[in-house]
Amino acid sequence: MKTLHLLSHSPFTDQRLTSCLHVIGANDGLLLTGDAVLALQPGSLQRKALELMPAGVQLFALEEDLIARHLQDCLPERVNSVDYPRFVALSLQADKVNSWL
Amino acid sequence: MSKSLLLVSRHAPCSGSTPRELLDIALAGGAFDLPISLLFLDDGVFQLFTPNFAALEQKNLSANLQALPMFGVEQLYVAERCLRDRGLDSTKAQPAVQCLDDAAISALYASHDLVITL
Amino acid sequence: MQFAIAVFSAPEQASNRRALRFAEAVLAEGHAISRLFFYQAGVHSASSQQVTAQDELDLPRAWHEFVTQHQLDAVVCIAAALRRGQLNQAEAERYNRDGYSVQTPWELSGLGQLHDAAQSADRLICFGGP
Repeated sequence: MKTLHLLSHSPFTDQRLTSCLHVIGANDGLLLTGDAVLALQPGSLQRKALELMPAGVQLFALEEDLIARHLQDCLPERVNSVDYPRFVALSLQADKVNSWL
Repeated sequence: MSKSLLLVSRHAPCSGSTPRELLDIALAGGAFDLPISLLFLDDGVFQLFTPNFAALEQKNLSANLQALPMFGVEQLYVAERCLRDRGLDSTKAQPAVQCLDDAAISALYASHDLVITL
Repeated sequence: MQFAIAVFSAPEQASNRRALRFAEAVLAEGHAISRLFFYQAGVHSASSQQVTAQDELDLPRAWHEFVTQHQLDAVVCIAAALRRGQLNQAEAERYNRDGYSVQTPWELSGLGQLHDAAQSADRLICFGGP
């Protein structure tokens, strides 16, 4: 994984996810945290957009944020739920982390 | 060998301290001779079209932008798509910046060691 | 591995707590934190004057305990802190202000400390936003 992109804004009120999907590299990763996990809401356009990302793009979501929003049991197959230890490991697996602050 | 840093400025210029605080990171890094590039993305592109800060009793951010080369920050880029979406003309950007398409921006992320997006 | 962790959001944002939980996990996983750097509204994390309701998570206190317990290098950007009213005793005297809210273990210093940390650590990770 080259760059791990980190998002925390809701995709329904903010352009960061859209912008990120335009510039994300073929071997990058995307970790959804906070309200950014709302992109996984079943039936949403954002979820469809994520499911259609090139296979090389790895998708992750922070477990506690999924649980808080009742999204943990309806994840798309390609999205991996991660806890904090796995979050730390992911940040090391990538060459760098780009947080969309 | 110093690590290269890509700074990505995404905020419009007149509504808060974020664009200035990102530039402060650039200027501080330039003073240490670090290799720094600056990319204007999303609403950050509006910073390049000389806003009238005086109308809002704000300090002129454009002066900080113009000072970047003096601090060794010479790699300035703008997202072509974001200009186009906002009806902006790259030739009128101040200071002059290099236009990049989405693929070139992906490559920019990949070629730097560190990224800070604000 | 050495981590540099930068916090850009205030304690009332969820991302501030996320930064703390990440930092705790870094140490629990056997890695090290070479520096914590607080910028923009993140400077409020260092405030000793924030009063949190008893039934809510007191993040400035949690950060203080974390930094103290692990003897971490915790730098608050001085320009960002002055702008937001988070002064230590020296700055309060310099600017003739009545009180101050930043004490040990926090250190007020410049943005050079962010660059220094980013350059020397194996990984830079920033937390901010909601």
